[in-house]
Amino acid sequence: MSFLSTLALAVALLVVAPYVAHRLRRRRAEEQLFPPARLVQPAPPQSRRRSRVEDRALLVTRAAAVLLLALLGATPFVHCSRLSLQRSGGASVAMAIVVDDSMSMNALAGDKSRFERAREGARELLASAREGDAVAVVLAGAPARVALAATTDLGAARDAVDALSAADRATDLDGAVALARGLVSSLPQVDRRIVVLSDLADGQHDGPPLGEGSSVPVWVALPELRAPAADCAAMRADRTGARVHVAFACGPGASAAGRDVAVEDAQGKRLGQAALPAGASGETMVLLPSEDAAPFRARLLGGDAVASDDAAPVLAEVTRGAIAVVADTVDETVATGGAPIVEQALSALKLDLDMRPLPAFPDRAEDLGGDLGVLLDDPPGFTPEQRHALGAFLDGGGVVLVALGPHAAAAPLGASLEPLLGHAVTWGETRSTGGDPASAIGQLAEPARSLAELGATRRATLAPEDVTALEPLVKWTDGAPLVARRVIGRGEAWMVTLPFSVDESDLALRPAFLALLDSWARSARERAAPKRSDVGTVWGFPGARAVEVVGPRGPIAVSREQGVARVLPPLVGVYRITVDGKAETRVAAPVSRELDLRPRAAAAATGGEGMGERRASVDISGPLALALLALVAAEIALRAWSRRKVEALA
Amino acid sequence: MSAPHAIRQAIDWGALAPLRIRARQVAEGVYAGSHRSAKRGAGVEFGGYREYVPGDDLRWLDRRSLLRHDRLVVRQFETETDRALCLLFDASASMGYRGKQAPAAKMAFAAVVAAALARLAIASGDPVSLTFLGGGPRAAAVPRSAGRDQFERIVAALETAEAGGDARVDPSKLDRALQSLARATRRGAIVVFLSDLVDLPDDAAESVAAIASRGRVLSIVQTLDPAEVDFPFQGTVRLRALEGGAVVETDAETTRDRYLAALAALTRLWQDAALRRGGRFLRATTADDPVSVVRAIVEAVR
Repeated sequence: MSFLSTLALAVALLVVAPYVAHRLRRRRAEEQLFPPARLVQPAPPQSRRRSRVEDRALLVTRAAAVLLLALLGATPFVHCSRLSLQRSGGASVAMAIVVDDSMSMNALAGDKSRFERAREGARELLASAREGDAVAVVLAGAPARVALAATTDLGAARDAVDALSAADRATDLDGAVALARGLVSSLPQVDRRIVVLSDLADGQHDGPPLGEGSSVPVWVALPELRAPAADCAAMRADRTGARVHVAFACGPGASAAGRDVAVEDAQGKRLGQAALPAGASGETMVLLPSEDAAPFRARLLGGDAVASDDAAPVLAEVTRGAIAVVADTVDETVATGGAPIVEQALSALKLDLDMRPLPAFPDRAEDLGGDLGVLLDDPPGFTPEQRHALGAFLDGGGVVLVALGPHAAAAPLGASLEPLLGHAVTWGETRSTGGDPASAIGQLAEPARSLAELGATRRATLAPEDVTALEPLVKWTDGAPLVARRVIGRGEAWMVTLPFSVDESDLALRPAFLALLDSWARSARERAAPKRSDVGTVWGFPGARAVEVVGPRGPIAVSREQGVARVLPPLVGVYRITVDGKAETRVAAPVSRELDLRPRAAAAATGGEGMGERRASVDISGPLALALLALVAAEIALRAWSRRKVEALA
Repeated sequence: MSAPHAIRQAIDWGALAPLRIRARQVAEGVYAGSHRSAKRGAGVEFGGYREYVPGDDLRWLDRRSLLRHDRLVVRQFETETDRALCLLFDASASMGYRGKQAPAAKMAFAAVVAAALARLAIASGDPVSLTFLGGGPRAAAVPRSAGRDQFERIVAALETAEAGGDARVDPSKLDRALQSLARATRRGAIVVFLSDLVDLPDDAAESVAAIASRGRVLSIVQTLDPAEVDFPFQGTVRLRALEGGAVVETDAETTRDRYLAALAALTRLWQDAALRRGGRFLRATTADDPVSVVRAIVEAVR
């Protein structure tokens, strides 16, 4: 605001002048001596009241007139801070507005969030658009997506901007600019531009400047969005017994020193509190009053730039589950007697899981209700009932480990290994006597060296069609899968092409066998526990027929891609998911790089020269002048009315 | 401003100064008109009848008139009439008032009238006395006496007097003045009460009118400021009385008529009280010609 406008508005201070005059006029009359004063009667109360009402009405009228006069004087110098388009020669413009809806945009910019300011900026740009201008809206929260394809329907563009909502996603500015460029580059308008309304905090502080080398001019508007800020987030909170482990992380330049974390129940009652260690990230433990406590969330105390990531839902670690073991107690019992060797191995691992030996795979899925996984050692195929139960178990997220041996290859008529394998397996001689350690991946990579010599003379061989569907974890030296897995439904099936019997190979005697069981059991436990993933990461539900998701702000739309239900959690928090009637809980956690609120550099040509401006004069002098005239008329009317009253009283 | 009863101020003589010369001029003006000595001379001469008033000597009750007309009348004898002039001068605070249009304060005007009357009486050989109602500590009464020096004493007392005191708050002032006057005057004495009458106690009219008993001639001269007669204020005014402590904030236009009516009622009250006792009542304003006022008083008490 210029000095002149300030000076003009200072005239508004004269608004007190009518009040002062009013007070002076209403001041008690000057006292005069008059001996026969006792013969004089005081003025009638009605007269005084009428005088007060009349005076106040006049006071308000005159004060408003002075105020309007000051505003009228200041109008030529007052500019509303608004975004507006500049156009060369009055030609139509093709504009793609990139609105950042990432988590960092939830930081405050003044009295509102950065996202709200960006949305306001988009509205201001649309307000300055004209008929014939083409507008597209792109969202920069990961993954970048199109909110509105290029259109000349400005009403639709306004509706699209109004429908935008804040999210906790990561930032994909490059993807958003690329999308925007694609949307406007093919439009007939000669004047094309991309307007970026973002804080540019995409976690790539040192990345290449945004908009550099873009074929379509880029204008990075609203510099106030890029004010320095610091943020910390509660990344996760896991409960074990009466303890809640809370992990936190802070962006560059921020520290959790001096802040506390509190664990609260669903009603907000504080159950425990602990100080966060100094540093940019770490973990602390909060002790609950008892194991019966029901913690709901862990919340970082004290304020920072983004409030939405300061709370994390407390997830209980999976309850003590069970693993069903179906083993041949005759063939697989070790020579020294006792339980089958696989059961002994599972016991030796101390997995904190119950083991439930079964004589045969059950015919009903309900019989596996409490089991996290099922281990089958050389099953002789599955009857139709067993196949149905196994399919339901896998669809529900169960994990199966199957060792294929001679019994599997000699499945009786009517029995098959579906749905694990589509074709029969064969049991025969093998030239390869062990696994290839180099082919091992994952947790088996290290212990796979013990599989180099298994002493096996025969092995199970899978049909080529089944091999292609499997993900090999360890291969035989000849390339055939030794340990492989595949996803079936929402579950997982692990397969080993050797039985666990020590009569067939030394597999069960190798350290890698324990590693295999441990890795499989861990997978089973993880699938039973609530899933936690980064916000903005797509959740897929292959094979699910009906999926319903309720997020922190209500139900979320489920999309389908190639028949697979997909859900993208846009906000940090807990999601209640119902898949074919079975409920589960998933958690969307903050993306750590969104905690870095340092803005990325923008190319020098993104200043908006020739494309738009920040200031647009708004002339409201006409309405102000009309209002002033109305006030003057009102004062005249008031005075005339008051005069008539006085005359009538006289 | 201090409390009303503490108000004490020197007389604003205005255009009526100096008192001595002004009083002589007024008296000479009265001479030029209808001069007549108030003294009738010695001897027992029937002087006429008048209505009986309580306190009259029953020896002079005319029984014949009572029997014939069923009226109580007393006979007057000029040889027994004391033609002394007793001036009862209101010097309370309200008499110090001078309006914007007035030539002088009410007390100054009253002093000119009183001095002129005194000079007339002295010139006729009648004794004159001066009694103050209120006034400051220097307002000393002048005992009854005749002769040229008495005029000087009267003038000196009037010149040194101050307007002060609150007769309304302290009614004993009036009672003391009336008792003193009653003791000092005899039958036939002329009592002239010069006052604005506005701040006297409510029962003052009857008390003053009672002086007219025992053959005394009472003349009440209400001396007002033109502002008190016209109420010239406009708009909202805040008025403070000089006596009684009354403070009134009012709208002048709205209350003017009511004030004038109240003043007329007050005047009527005094007038009726005086007439019932055979007294006279005159009203004068400081804008009036003192000569005319003195002449009217002389005519009234004749």
